[in-house]
Amino acid sequence: MEEGSLRVGIETALGDGYLTTRVDEFVNWGRKNSLWPMPFGTACCGIELMALLGPKYDVARFGAEAIRFSPRQSDLMVVAGRISIKMMPVLQRIWQQMPEPKWCVSMGACASSGGVFDTYTLVQGVDQFIPVDVYIPGCPPRPEALIDAIMEVQRVVEEDSVLRYKDTVPEAPVAEPDTTELPQVT
Amino acid sequence: MSQALAEKLQAEFEGSVTDVSSREVARSTPSTQVTVRVERERIVDVLTFARDELGLKFLSDISAIDYLQMSGAERFTVIYVLRNIADGGELILKAAVPEEPAEIDSACSVYKGANWLEREVYDMFGITFLSHPNMTRILTPDEFDGHPLRKDYPVQGRGFRDRFPVISRDAS
Amino acid sequence: MPANTNDTIEMSDLTYAQAPSAQSERMRINFGPSHPATHGTLRVMLELDGETIVGVEPEIGYLHTGFEKIAEELSYSQFIPLSDRMNYLSAINNNIGYAIAVEELLGMELPERAQYARVILAELGRIADHLVWLGMQAVDIGAFTAFLWGFTERERLYDIFEAVCGARLTTSITRIGGMIADLPHDFDERVKGFLKGFDSTMADLDRLLTRNRIWIDRTQGISPISQEDAISFGLSGPVLRATGVEYDVRKANPYLVYDRMDFEVVIGDNGDVYERYLVRMEEMRQSVRIVEQALSQLPEGDILAYDNKTVLPPKEEVYNTIEGLIHHFELTMPGFGISPESGAEIYSATEAPNGELGFYLVSDGSGKPYRLRVRPPSFLNYAPVGELLMGTMISDTVAVIGSLNVIAGELDR
Repeated sequence: MEEGSLRVGIETALGDGYLTTRVDEFVNWGRKNSLWPMPFGTACCGIELMALLGPKYDVARFGAEAIRFSPRQSDLMVVAGRISIKMMPVLQRIWQQMPEPKWCVSMGACASSGGVFDTYTLVQGVDQFIPVDVYIPGCPPRPEALIDAIMEVQRVVEEDSVLRYKDTVPEAPVAEPDTTELPQVT
Repeated sequence: MSQALAEKLQAEFEGSVTDVSSREVARSTPSTQVTVRVERERIVDVLTFARDELGLKFLSDISAIDYLQMSGAERFTVIYVLRNIADGGELILKAAVPEEPAEIDSACSVYKGANWLEREVYDMFGITFLSHPNMTRILTPDEFDGHPLRKDYPVQGRGFRDRFPVISRDAS
Repeated sequence: MPANTNDTIEMSDLTYAQAPSAQSERMRINFGPSHPATHGTLRVMLELDGETIVGVEPEIGYLHTGFEKIAEELSYSQFIPLSDRMNYLSAINNNIGYAIAVEELLGMELPERAQYARVILAELGRIADHLVWLGMQAVDIGAFTAFLWGFTERERLYDIFEAVCGARLTTSITRIGGMIADLPHDFDERVKGFLKGFDSTMADLDRLLTRNRIWIDRTQGISPISQEDAISFGLSGPVLRATGVEYDVRKANPYLVYDRMDFEVVIGDNGDVYERYLVRMEEMRQSVRIVEQALSQLPEGDILAYDNKTVLPPKEEVYNTIEGLIHHFELTMPGFGISPESGAEIYSATEAPNGELGFYLVSDGSGKPYRLRVRPPSFLNYAPVGELLMGTMISDTVAVIGSLNVIAGELDR
């Protein structure tokens, strides 16, 4: 693995397959029970997402209590709501800012396929432009459906492997060091 | 009451204010909704008079209709819905705007709420409001081409919604 | 400032002070569109001098869906489910507003039971909207508990909506001419049970926030609006009433059976964030009053008008009589449908929780509206945000944007 790449530390330590199945189980157990969502709620599905965070359908029991709206600190993006042509570049930028490993759930009919709105301004399915792992049908889907989707993502995570990134080289943008001279206090 | 407002307007702006039509609306207290046609060159004067003399200080809405598929003289009509909050009087003004040049004076100097409403009409219909402080698109992206609510613009658009880079799983 | 949608903010035009105490550093911050406090899809570009805002440029359109365009392709009845998705916090009020607009265009008279049922559901929708607004405003300012309590009550409302129409959020509950189906037989008990629990929750929320030192410091004196400005901007709803202007469509131009209900229009004083909070809290209590009165006056009868030109006939008639079949055909086949007279136009406004929700309908005689213009209250309420934020501190931005209750689905349509 390259120095300074956007990869989780465990992959840099084991590059060659030694005892990885046990490590896989352990790592995936940790990851699936602490999925930190990045809620990209735009419309009505966002309200059902908020209901999921509420007391009745508590998503904290899945370890997903830390709803950080910062993409750098999350690993599950939930695209909840219709994505317009103005919002799509924003969505793509947020997806790129999330560090690996990351998963994406497309919640609702509008995010999965455009929904009822076949218009000039709505993207007919975000899976055309970002990789989606789980789709949730519904308009809006009930919070139970969203919980089912999170459990499905947990199954996807279980089947993941730390060797997934062994041979792929990331194209991580390298930030240049900031060398601007700041005024000194005299 | 709205009929009286329309008559005062007609008395003040003879020739420019025509075609007073009314419609009975059946609510709890039946009322009449009065629509008045105004010449587009005098729209700012008419709106100023309506705000100052007729008490119609509340601008409810500005929007437009594209009459391409219905027969009529001019293609567009810009609609102003005005209201008097104190006594409930309402008046709808219609100004016909031709297709070329699709221009009309801005009402921003008369009502502050006209700013964004006119930007939306420009975005959706392509009608330019002269002397508007910021005549730019508001709902569609800046690089969008075309005016969506015109009748000759297809519902499914002209491909804007498909032109994005594809990020595959490996390249994330 | 130019409205560049996707460019990075240039830091190159920072000016550096010669002496450390000179205040000439300005910072540009891009607030949104993906930000917890922008409720999904608002973007405000701010120029800051320390913590004071000296330049504002709001940008909207991130949820523009093309409702008005797609309405020209659908029949009048087919637009009802789409009207839910505009103001999705109180979808019922959108349904009712749209149905009233079409019924006024046609000149239809509704049965009494349908009118009372609509009033009850509209007021429950108003309570639902204000509960989410309170939760989000509190979360933005930092008080998380109000969100949890508000959502617990909202879940109970969802149970009621689900019993009435089968959906929690996007209710699609009216038909042109009445309601989908009759109210459930235990509707009375359900609503009364909800109202009983709601009173104690309102008392809790009141005790938590209204005299709370931190809440008052964060909200009092922030972005007051004068009455002339508010009227000139076209504000409506609680934002307008908090400035002291007494304008409520339910009293100014009553529709359905609001003229038989005894309630007060809640007005405030100087229009700041705290006043808007107080107005909305009291509006919830007035809504409870209206619901109680309407429940006690709810008559028996039809829930759907009997008019073969606009309302689907009951299934027994469709299957057993030729007239029923023909009427059903004429209402559902493309090319037919509800057809108001050609050239008829109407502007119809109702009082949604956010303000005056208006529909301007133009008909060309066919089964589809020629033009459907939605006058969204959030759009006009949000327009003055540039002026309201100028000169305030950056931490007030979330309080102000939250207090305007901008629902992006309605703002951008």
